Amino acid sequence: MSFIEIEHLMKIYGHSKSDKVAVLKDVSFTMEQREIVGLIGASGAGKSTIGKILAGLEMPNKGTIRFDGHDLTKMSGRERRAFSKHIAMIFQDPYESLSPRMKIRELVEEPLIIQQIERDKQKRLNIVREALQVVSLDPDKYLERYPHELSGGERQRVGVARAFVCKPKLIIADEPTSMLDTSLRLELIALLKSMNEQYGISYVFVTHDIALTKGFCDRIIVLHEGEIVDEGMTDDVINNPTHPFTKALIHALLTLEGAHE
Amino acid sequence: MRKSTKFIGLTGVVMFSIVALFAIFGPLFIPYDAYKQAGASFQPPSASHWLGTNDMGQDILAELAVGARTSLFIGIMTAILATLIGGIVGVLSGYIGGRFEQLMMRIIDVVLTLPYLPLMIVVAVYMGPGVFTQIFVITLVMWAGKARQIRAQTLSIKSAGPVLAAKTMGASDFYIFKKHILPGVFPLFIPQFVGAVNASILMESSLSFLGMGDPTMKSWGSILYYANSRSGFLTDAWIWWIIPPGICIVLVVLAFSFMGYYLEEKVNPRLSAYTAAQKRVKQQITVNEELVAQNIALAVRDLSVKYPKNGKFTTVVSDVRFDVKQGEVLGIVGESGSGKTTVASAIIQQLRSPAHVPHGAIYFEGRDLQLFSDEEIREVRGQQIGYIAQAAMNALNPVVSVEKQLKEALLAHQTLSTKEIDERIDEALIQVGLEPKWRYAFSHELSGGMRQRVIIAMALINKPRFVIADEPTTGLDVMVQVEIIQLLRKLQRELNLSMIFISHDLPAVLSITDRLIIMKYGHIVDEGPSKALAKTSTHPYTRRLIDAIPLLQPRKEEVRDVVH
Repeated sequence: MSFIEIEHLMKIYGHSKSDKVAVLKDVSFTMEQREIVGLIGASGAGKSTIGKILAGLEMPNKGTIRFDGHDLTKMSGRERRAFSKHIAMIFQDPYESLSPRMKIRELVEEPLIIQQIERDKQKRLNIVREALQVVSLDPDKYLERYPHELSGGERQRVGVARAFVCKPKLIIADEPTSMLDTSLRLELIALLKSMNEQYGISYVFVTHDIALTKGFCDRIIVLHEGEIVDEGMTDDVINNPTHPFTKALIHALLTLEGAHE
Repeated sequence: MRKSTKFIGLTGVVMFSIVALFAIFGPLFIPYDAYKQAGASFQPPSASHWLGTNDMGQDILAELAVGARTSLFIGIMTAILATLIGGIVGVLSGYIGGRFEQLMMRIIDVVLTLPYLPLMIVVAVYMGPGVFTQIFVITLVMWAGKARQIRAQTLSIKSAGPVLAAKTMGASDFYIFKKHILPGVFPLFIPQFVGAVNASILMESSLSFLGMGDPTMKSWGSILYYANSRSGFLTDAWIWWIIPPGICIVLVVLAFSFMGYYLEEKVNPRLSAYTAAQKRVKQQITVNEELVAQNIALAVRDLSVKYPKNGKFTTVVSDVRFDVKQGEVLGIVGESGSGKTTVASAIIQQLRSPAHVPHGAIYFEGRDLQLFSDEEIREVRGQQIGYIAQAAMNALNPVVSVEKQLKEALLAHQTLSTKEIDERIDEALIQVGLEPKWRYAFSHELSGGMRQRVIIAMALINKPRFVIADEPTTGLDVMVQVEIIQLLRKLQRELNLSMIFISHDLPAVLSITDRLIIMKYGHIVDEGPSKALAKTSTHPYTRRLIDAIPLLQPRKEEVRDVVH
């Protein structure tokens, strides 16, 4: 039995008969502990929807998700909320996903309070400080600051600290680098990778940029119009794409890269 | 916050305090009872009656002071009630959603159509005219508008990042409501309340003026009602009988408007950046022959741009200097905050109002655009310089067809027959690789790549000689990015355009530009022919940008060797 088993996942948006759109049509895949899986696809391919379903922001219309033996789709609301401490999410937009009214300390502390992990204030603060240290933000300098005083890269690190603070088994990273400047992207990827090695956290890494998965993801899954069209070890897929869509995607990237060789 | 706003807010507070003090202490110090005869009828202002007397010999100053209590009480009471009811309904319907929200919205729609005067007449028949009837009716018509605005704010907070994040942490509805929704909505209550006081004092006055107030209580509106119905206008008495309550009403409404102005800017800090734009007049412009002779389409010379920040000026672009030759593509690369978009805005003379250009010249075909009048610059924009603005593809008008939007861009600069317009629109669409049938489409029917093509068509429809493209590939999938770049390159060659291509995305820029400028913190830190720059630049920042590009294929070793 795998760590995560996703079977026949289906998601339909829209209410009336005419505007129903199936963003996920029968998606199944598995993941092992400590594994980093990249979900690749163009916009509208359904990759973000899988992330949202795993993070509990959406409910699938059909299908099951077994996480460490627990079926997420069969849980009651309360059980699912309590289970959220094992699955965290890093959002795309580091500007919009942090409340401007909360200090960094409060932001990173929020999951601990919601999950009631540590009632003692001092101990809770120590956990927050530790999480900030993991993402290389000096707690003494950042704890009492507000998000607007931070750069985009620093904010995204706060987002990572917030996802890490409950020591989850899985983190869903939804295009975490796309709003960052180019020079900061690889730094963030390196940070995520080091957390994977040190704490054994698994990632579902959602991105449209296949180049970012190289050297980071163990395995990639290529989605196209709500279906899995290609999957395998990252280098295998990049070097020997089978589906026409994957081929086109890689061809496009190589065209861009060709410019400066 | 601007000084003038603070001053206006303070003026409002002072004005309101004067009226409030008058209402609280006036009746204690004025030696006459507003409801009893205090002297002869129609006495003009004198030492004993500062504002004279009315037809029944009542002291008008005393009436005003007692009236202030009634008017302010009704105004503030109804504002509190309307804001509270509207706030609760708005927050709940926005947060709960579903059937409850639909029901509430329909009720709000109905209430918003209720005319308050006829409603007052009907309600007054059942409840009898009086202060509480007035409060009831004004609240009844006012809560709905508040509810609608507060619901809109609740909806936007509900789908915002912090709430989604809390949901993934497993937060309960109650937690999200308490911690994220309420604190986000609450700041909106205060300006809503201030606006409500204003509206309800005016409504109270008009209701009382029409005789629908409490006949046993004096208010400013009822003083006006009696003055009018008892022929105040037939004598000179109107000067001291009608003008003072009028002034009181105006004073309170102005006071709350001023406070509202201040609060609105406090809630929405973006307003404080606003200052009126300067008008630019026509003047004689000499042509820089040297630049024309060298075939330089655009020359930027020592351009600096400053923005006011915390009372001081921050330089966002400093001493930028570059040329774009006829038919050349120049890339400007930099990360956020490097000033690249500011340079583009400066070129087309579209810097937002607080920006300040201490020095610099921008020669377009030899003439300094900074000296152009407003009309001349409008001629240049769109017609001679096409501008593809950042994220413009998300700003297409959703309710107007592609055809109409292209037509609008076309007719802004020239007068053409219907047939010519049709032909030009078809031509422009074909140029950007869209079939002419798409002219009837609306933006939601188009994919991201197609929308960007429409934007390019719009920029080219007036056949400009120069194009500025600001981040034209950002937010698009890699495959679409490649398509758009190839399209721009093809158009640039076919039409022999001169072009500036701005991006934070080096690979995109490298594949289309002839020359590159690297910007950081408003300075040009590196420049040169694109390919050579990418391969051989030793500038540490340029190297960092290039090395940060994730690649599918490993970089060729010889490139590395040059670097190290």
